[in-house]
Amino acid sequence: MAVPALAQRRTAVEASSSASARAWRENLTGWAFAAPFVILFGVFMVLPIVSSFVLSFTSFGLRDLASPLGTTFVGLSNYIDLLSDRKFWSSLFNTFYFVVIGVPLTLALGLFIANALNRGVNKFKTVFRVGYYLPVITSIVAIAVVWRFLLNPDVGLINMLLGSVGISGPAWLADPVLAMPSIIAMAVWRNLGFAMVVFLAGMQAIPASLYEAASIDGAGRWQSFRFVTIPMLRPTILFMTVITTIGYLQLFEEPFVMTGGGPLDKTLSVTMYMYQQGFAFFHQGYASAVAYVLFLIVAVIAFLQFKFLRSDT
Amino acid sequence: MAHDESIPKTDRTTGGLFNIAGVLAAAALLFASCGTNSGGGGGSNAPAGSAAQAPAVSAAASVGGTLTVWAMGNEGVKLKDLADAFMKDNPGTTVNVTPVDWGQAVAKLQTAIAGHQTPDVSQMGTDMMGQFAETKALEAVPANFTAGNFFEGAWNTNVVNGTVYGVPWYVETRLLYYRKDIAEKAGITSPPATWDDLHTMAKAMQEKGGAKYGISLGTQNWQEYVPFLWSNGGQIVDDQGKFQLNSPQAVEALTAYKSYFTEGLSPKSVPEGFDITPAFVAGTHPMFFSGPWHLGLIKEAGGAGFEDKWAIAPIPKKVSATSFVGGSNLVVYKDSKNKDLAWKFVQYLTDPKTQVAWYKDVTDLPAVSSAWDDQTLKTDPNVAKFGDQLKDTKAQPAVSTWSELATALNSSLEKMTTGSLEPQAAADEMQKEAETIGTGAAK
Repeated sequence: MAVPALAQRRTAVEASSSASARAWRENLTGWAFAAPFVILFGVFMVLPIVSSFVLSFTSFGLRDLASPLGTTFVGLSNYIDLLSDRKFWSSLFNTFYFVVIGVPLTLALGLFIANALNRGVNKFKTVFRVGYYLPVITSIVAIAVVWRFLLNPDVGLINMLLGSVGISGPAWLADPVLAMPSIIAMAVWRNLGFAMVVFLAGMQAIPASLYEAASIDGAGRWQSFRFVTIPMLRPTILFMTVITTIGYLQLFEEPFVMTGGGPLDKTLSVTMYMYQQGFAFFHQGYASAVAYVLFLIVAVIAFLQFKFLRSDT
Repeated sequence: MAHDESIPKTDRTTGGLFNIAGVLAAAALLFASCGTNSGGGGGSNAPAGSAAQAPAVSAAASVGGTLTVWAMGNEGVKLKDLADAFMKDNPGTTVNVTPVDWGQAVAKLQTAIAGHQTPDVSQMGTDMMGQFAETKALEAVPANFTAGNFFEGAWNTNVVNGTVYGVPWYVETRLLYYRKDIAEKAGITSPPATWDDLHTMAKAMQEKGGAKYGISLGTQNWQEYVPFLWSNGGQIVDDQGKFQLNSPQAVEALTAYKSYFTEGLSPKSVPEGFDITPAFVAGTHPMFFSGPWHLGLIKEAGGAGFEDKWAIAPIPKKVSATSFVGGSNLVVYKDSKNKDLAWKFVQYLTDPKTQVAWYKDVTDLPAVSSAWDDQTLKTDPNVAKFGDQLKDTKAQPAVSTWSELATALNSSLEKMTTGSLEPQAAADEMQKEAETIGTGAAK
């Protein structure tokens, strides 16, 4: 009923106005519909992005809080200071440590579980799917509390299990060597559910005929995974690699709630360092420079991943 | 001074006559506090290092209007009681108390300052003063408030670059909590009076008392290190504003501090979120330094029959027995539209009677020294010990870069206590880092 009415009105409008006025009006309607998004995006994304870029060339700090326009421009000196900032470099190292170990682990486990759920496990499929995905949607604070209990050196479940086989477990999060691996373990557990769901969706889009053809050719389970699933999933894998890398490069919540960056700054990530500079020390100019350096790193890595992983297909 | 009737909370049920008395009393108080220094004009009578204060505000009894007050944590919840009493005493005034979560306090205040939407009055942690004075959003304290009325360490947290920006509201200081029964088992019957006593006691408790450790010291907590520094005659910043973190006194203090870790008397590795209270009750960690909040926590965790098994003692002496003083101050903002009333409210909160009532309500320790003469604070011997310790306390320097300095101190301390960094090297690193960070005053 509504459709013919609209159509009638449309024809009426078309008849009564010139083509250019109509185009203008349609334009306006389009913008009106888009306005809520455009305004929100402008205010909460574009404006902060631009202003933090400007800030990164200033010494904006506490003294400028009440009158922001009075801040001093310092040119590139924030970026130059960053080059000789040991804490920044060590936070960058920690972040890369997390990414280099964490991303392949998350994707491999996600892929493995997705494949198991897709081809092998038939009973309780939904239970497993929900089980693996639950951590993704659980609040990080709740997860942190539970994991801190698990990893507690004296009363934690992990060390109690180790103790029952005669191994005296370490202080996981308080040990400078083990803290980052513990964080990685938690992050992988938390995030592999998302990878699994995306991979599973990708796998279900692979035509069954390909597997049939493969099995006629005598392919076993591993071979059909290696030569059918993996090639067919390549776009999905590329997508997940890029998304996970970008996410992991911005590592923040896990160390923030688990270790506060310690012990001895071994779990201090770039984003945490930025937060510390910007909101604990209120060197917002300097923190903005850290943010832009991280942005540049993310952009370059994403670009390289697209370039190399895509050209393989 | 101040034999007035303006006791908060309790007189809520009494009639209108009390209101008039209250107003008069509040007005009398304003004059009374000026009068404590032999009738002089306030600011000029400030003790050593005399910091600048704004001229005294007029004590007009008829100040009316509305105030917005931000308070944090438990204070934010309970301050309404005092605000109600203040409104009752001052008809025509409205005091709105907004509770703010401690975790968001700094960010919220910064946002408020940036947007020129500040409260009239707010609570402010003593360690936040330097940082917020830097924003130029705080009003200088008028001469009605006299340094001599407050604990010196607490007052000094308000003095930034020679100007007084806040008034101490409540304080906390650190004492030694120890297990009496374990000490006795180890053959020690009196609390440690000196550094040597403390070390001997920790060792005895571990070896003969059956405790897992001798003492629990913070591996990366400057607040636990500075009493050692100060008690050894050292300082963080000297009178000229120069850091003294690698002075011989500092190295000696760090050496003493480190010895507890190298000898296994204090745990090197502390799990994230470790809670000392159950460990103290269980007897694995028989000594630690902490503030008054642990009195209640231990009482609760220990249960019946535990009260004789522990005690508190002042900081062990070296050159002096100086502890750390923390707590909160009250500040008034430049953007406030009703500054006279704001200061009047601050005056009310720092009146000795109000301070005692506030202690009864939330057990915050009074920052006004004369409030400690009240019987309420003398009846509990443990609380009285905090009062005695408060006479010898210091606080971190009120500089804008403090949070950064604290992070640097903690980091060097952690390398020394949990790692292999030697005291001299740790002291040098602290000094070097601190000099790089600066006090924020020179720029």
